[in-house]
Amino acid sequence: MPTGRTWHDRHLGPLFVLPATLMLAAVLIFPAAMTLKLSLTHEGGGRWSLALVHYLKAFRDPVLAQTFRNTFAFVALSLAGHLLLGLALALALNQALPGQTFFRLIALVPWTVPDVIAGIIFRWVFNPIHGCLNPLLQSVIPGFPANFSWLSSPTLAFPSLIFANIWRGYPLVMVMLLAGLMAIPRELYEAAAVDGAGRVKRFLHVTLPGLSTIILIALALDMVWEFRRFALVLTMTGGGPGTLTEVLSTLVYKSYFQFFTFEYASAIAILMSVVLFILSLPYIVLVGRQQ
Amino acid sequence: MRRNVNACWDLAMVWIAVSLLVLMATPATAQVKIRFQTWHWMETPWVKSLEEFQREFNKANPGIEVVRDDSRYADKESVFITQSTAKAAADIPHFSYRPIRHFADRGYLLDLTPFVEKEGGEKYLAQFDQAALEMCKYKGKLYCLPDDLNPLVLMYNTIHFKEVGLDPNKPPATWAEFLDYARKLMKADRWGVGIIGARQEGIFMRFNPWLWGAGGDYLTPDGRRSALDSPEALEGFKFYVELFTKHKLVPPGVIEQGAQEVRTQLAHEKVSMIITLPAAPGIVQAINPKMNVREVMMLAPVPVGKKKVTSAWFSMRVISAFTRNPDAAWKVYKAWHEPESQMRNFKIAGVLSSRLDIKNSPEVKNDKFARVFSAQTPYVKWEPLVPEWPKIGDAMITAIQEGLTGVKTPEQALNDAHAATNRALGAQ
Repeated sequence: MPTGRTWHDRHLGPLFVLPATLMLAAVLIFPAAMTLKLSLTHEGGGRWSLALVHYLKAFRDPVLAQTFRNTFAFVALSLAGHLLLGLALALALNQALPGQTFFRLIALVPWTVPDVIAGIIFRWVFNPIHGCLNPLLQSVIPGFPANFSWLSSPTLAFPSLIFANIWRGYPLVMVMLLAGLMAIPRELYEAAAVDGAGRVKRFLHVTLPGLSTIILIALALDMVWEFRRFALVLTMTGGGPGTLTEVLSTLVYKSYFQFFTFEYASAIAILMSVVLFILSLPYIVLVGRQQ
Repeated sequence: MRRNVNACWDLAMVWIAVSLLVLMATPATAQVKIRFQTWHWMETPWVKSLEEFQREFNKANPGIEVVRDDSRYADKESVFITQSTAKAAADIPHFSYRPIRHFADRGYLLDLTPFVEKEGGEKYLAQFDQAALEMCKYKGKLYCLPDDLNPLVLMYNTIHFKEVGLDPNKPPATWAEFLDYARKLMKADRWGVGIIGARQEGIFMRFNPWLWGAGGDYLTPDGRRSALDSPEALEGFKFYVELFTKHKLVPPGVIEQGAQEVRTQLAHEKVSMIITLPAAPGIVQAINPKMNVREVMMLAPVPVGKKKVTSAWFSMRVISAFTRNPDAAWKVYKAWHEPESQMRNFKIAGVLSSRLDIKNSPEVKNDKFARVFSAQTPYVKWEPLVPEWPKIGDAMITAIQEGLTGVKTPEQALNDAHAATNRALGAQ
């Protein structure tokens, strides 16, 4: 039975997809395969084998174990901050206020700042001698120490880093949630108000259910990005004090470019990718279901 | 329709004519371009020396063009590794001595032996400091010529000394005097001494004199095990970290302070003494042009503990194994190491050459700063050149940071560095 589709209709689609596929293979699949091969190669180069020497070494490496813990904490706290700040600002910017567009643009500014610049800015902000945070706190809290150390403090370095990362990364979540808020029909709020629902109930029973899918997608995407966060950490703390703020991406960088252990660095990178893939599964499933 | 076709032809003719004119107006390009890579292209005062070298070489060698290739100090190795993996590295990159053997093992560096043989072999090499030259030799090959070799010394602000009743002509000679002077130099919003705590290569040069000066070392003499568990190593380590933690002689935020931050503190009179390199006077002057550095600052050997010893900044250029023009690259390389270039580098940037004729020249011997640096050369000691050094060094920085910030006691921090060093060496 004729389908009405010509030869062109049946064969042109794959041809259109081909350039993008080749490009992906060149910039993604090929380097990934090379990294995998390198992770199976003996140190100093040579032949590869399935002895998994570097993976076994990774499982015994105390620095790597701590770095995994740091990375999970960094991602979890950053995500929580992005969600709370992003949602609060999205709710505020969804109100019909004068200058709404201006404030929406201003709220997006941190997203436009490159990681390295954000890192340098916050290093200066937190600097105990010529930074701006201590004088600001002194003007608000009389008696606050003039030379208070943030990034040199074992207890405050990590929270300071998270603070900077929340500032840098909330706009993505905010924009997605704002788009989600704008898509919730006004009628639902009006109907809830008619039924006697107050602000809190409307938020809990209309806004949150309406945003649930977008929140999941935003958090999943954000998680992937935060898991790979590199330049901000390297610029602000370099992983210190000691290894207290070391994350996986900085450890891979150090192992590869500073320790010259290319093979071990590749093994850590592969492990990182596997963990990231597992963490991304809910997002992949969600997107698959929606399609 | 026809009018449109004619218009298209007219446009095409104009485009071709303009292209031809542009091509004819462009000066003939040099035959060979040699990428000369260093982070100094972006730094005063070195850039002036580099630009003069580039200008003079290009003028004298019409067939070869030296091309500026910027790297950054912090990621010079990353850039070179990435470019070498793609077989597209700069022809002549610039490093400290630390990664040379790693790069040689990976096949990234050109063996210079055949070029040196043509220049006269041993006679040609005899022009250079022999200890420095040894660092360029590896597995029977020569991978570099030594470039700038700069021992570290103490630099101090004489005005601060006078303010607190210290004689600028009697700098601290021992560790006890150093502590005493640093205490006396403390004032409101000013600290006695600036030290480095940031995770960067420069930390070793400033820390090593204390470790070695106490009689400690990184490794046992056979290079197979860590020697960081010795009482001497602990003494040196404690002296360094306690300048901050116990004696409070160092500005806050110490682990955020790299070499440039500490020089900036000296330039802006936030600290009175630092351990530093021959290039420092020029850099401090550039940071604070209002300060007359040659009048205000003085230099002295690093205060002596149990042993008189210092570390050094030692850098060298190499030729990439992937250069497409090895002969032209060697010509540029050789020119950079000629006395004229090295003397210019000294006069502009203040750095000391590994060339013996420059090192022993009247210009160096009569210079207020250079003669102090140069006199320390016999006391220079190097970090161990084992392949595991980057990991050992990283463990040491971790320990220094942990000690400085109180994450661990100095004993715990050094003990962990000892264990990490043995792990890196595969020792039990």
